[in-house]
Amino acid sequence: MGLLSILRKLKSAPEEEVRILLLGLDNGGKTTLLKHLASEDITHITPTQGFNIKCVQSKGFKLNVWDIGGQRKIRPYWRNYFENTDVLIYVIDSADRKRFEETGEELAELLDEEKLSGVPVLIFANKQDLLTAAPASDIAEGLNLHTIRDRVWQIQACSAFTGEGVQDGMNWVCKNVTAKKK
Amino acid sequence: MGCFFSKKSRRKCPDREPALSDIEEDATNNIPATSTEVNATALSTNNTEEAPKQYSWDKRPKVDPKDFMLTGLKDVTVGRLPGKLNGQQFVIQECENCCIYVFDHSATITIDDCVNCRIVLGPVKGSVFFRDCKDIKCVVACQQFRTRDCKKMEVFLCCATQPIIESSTGMKFACYQYYYPDVAFHFKDAGLSIFNNNWSNIHDFTPVSGETNWSLLPEDVAVLDHLPLPDSESEFKSIRISTEVARSIVPLTKGNRRKGSDETCLFVFFAGDYTTANARKLIDEATAKGFPLVQTKEVSMRPEDVQRVFGANTESLIEWIAKGAVVALEFNGDGVVEACRNIASDVFSGTKVFVSENKDTASRDVDNFFNFADMQMGL
Repeated sequence: MGLLSILRKLKSAPEEEVRILLLGLDNGGKTTLLKHLASEDITHITPTQGFNIKCVQSKGFKLNVWDIGGQRKIRPYWRNYFENTDVLIYVIDSADRKRFEETGEELAELLDEEKLSGVPVLIFANKQDLLTAAPASDIAEGLNLHTIRDRVWQIQACSAFTGEGVQDGMNWVCKNVTAKKK
Repeated sequence: MGCFFSKKSRRKCPDREPALSDIEEDATNNIPATSTEVNATALSTNNTEEAPKQYSWDKRPKVDPKDFMLTGLKDVTVGRLPGKLNGQQFVIQECENCCIYVFDHSATITIDDCVNCRIVLGPVKGSVFFRDCKDIKCVVACQQFRTRDCKKMEVFLCCATQPIIESSTGMKFACYQYYYPDVAFHFKDAGLSIFNNNWSNIHDFTPVSGETNWSLLPEDVAVLDHLPLPDSESEFKSIRISTEVARSIVPLTKGNRRKGSDETCLFVFFAGDYTTANARKLIDEATAKGFPLVQTKEVSMRPEDVQRVFGANTESLIEWIAKGAVVALEFNGDGVVEACRNIASDVFSGTKVFVSENKDTASRDVDNFFNFADMQMGL
């Protein structure tokens, strides 16, 4: 599923820019996901030092996807990208059990942010292709997602590397973006 | 939203108990017995229900994760023989005073909380990530190399992208220099090229002014001084390892080390059955004559790239780049251009190659090619 078809499925008004923010810990697979959405080669991806952005336009509709580097040192910069976000996609490495606590804490802080209040969130439980990957249900439970009351949310198991599950997640995004738009 | 994983959640959440009113009981209190239930209920949102969906990870045969993990070992020689991982993820954690040899290709490897270990990792398709490790000497080939909170590491590295470190000190790097019999196959299985190695240009996310957290090991470093061969009584005794420069599966490159001369030369092999063997032969010939290898790249080119990279009047090369990826090499030294041109006519007269014409055009050739390659391979 390319960015262009996502754009066409979004029910935004023309001339309105739909803004997707991709966050998560470093090494989670955000850039792989972005490249996959852009139908680009994913076999040669470098750790993101700043951010990556993909933009598509079609018939007056615009979609921007922002992929921000997730190293601990640069997470304070995430807030520079919050404004006007229409949907947050939070990517978790399901096979990095050692850092589940850390990723849970970062997500919790994001959901507490004023500038992201009410923004729909899609949690990609990524890297399901890997051996030690925890199932999405375990991750949902560990993150206490069911206690999220102030916005629509969805958790989706996926492998950005193979592409499996990505379209299902993006279908949810398309359906739920308009709910937020003023 | 409280975080179950977190020991001290800062989030204010009035009801820690899962609310059963708006979601089915299965999702919160019971661990689903079968994999089909997992997707049916646990993935439900707080709006609509989704039809249960099965993915490949729900259907694949179950494997014991312990076969792919090394945890809490001390004072031992341990690892995996060829064929034991077969591209799976591998995890190394909490090991101390160990010699760890992973002689197979894998998807990704994390190394956590290890102290004083010697680690050899076979080619990794994705990332190698060291966290909270100390006193490590390792040989690594991977797509991405990452560290966080590490101290005192020596890394013989082949990395397809720019290596990164974070909150790490005393990190030292050298070019990958290793061989074991199946390693060439493992590089292919991992999708790595022996010619794409960014071992010497590290990005530090936490630089400290006045200090450097990383440096390069001396050029004449001997791997065996840092990483021993496996114990002769171990399960690895039959693996015929070599740490000699000439036998390394990854050619030794100077990378960002200071170059001896201002004269440089670009040599490019076009795709063919013997490209790798030819490149190796060239390296042997040139280095024997005293011209060190600076860098290499294996990259695909499109017709529109040819003139921009190789200069005017090179249209004849367009049909050659269409056959597949090219392998480019940069050599350095006074008289290197003449030496390369002689080698091209003496040794490779039947092979399609590009060699810099003269000293003056050579620097431009090198810049044009490797800038192009960096652009191709960056995002």
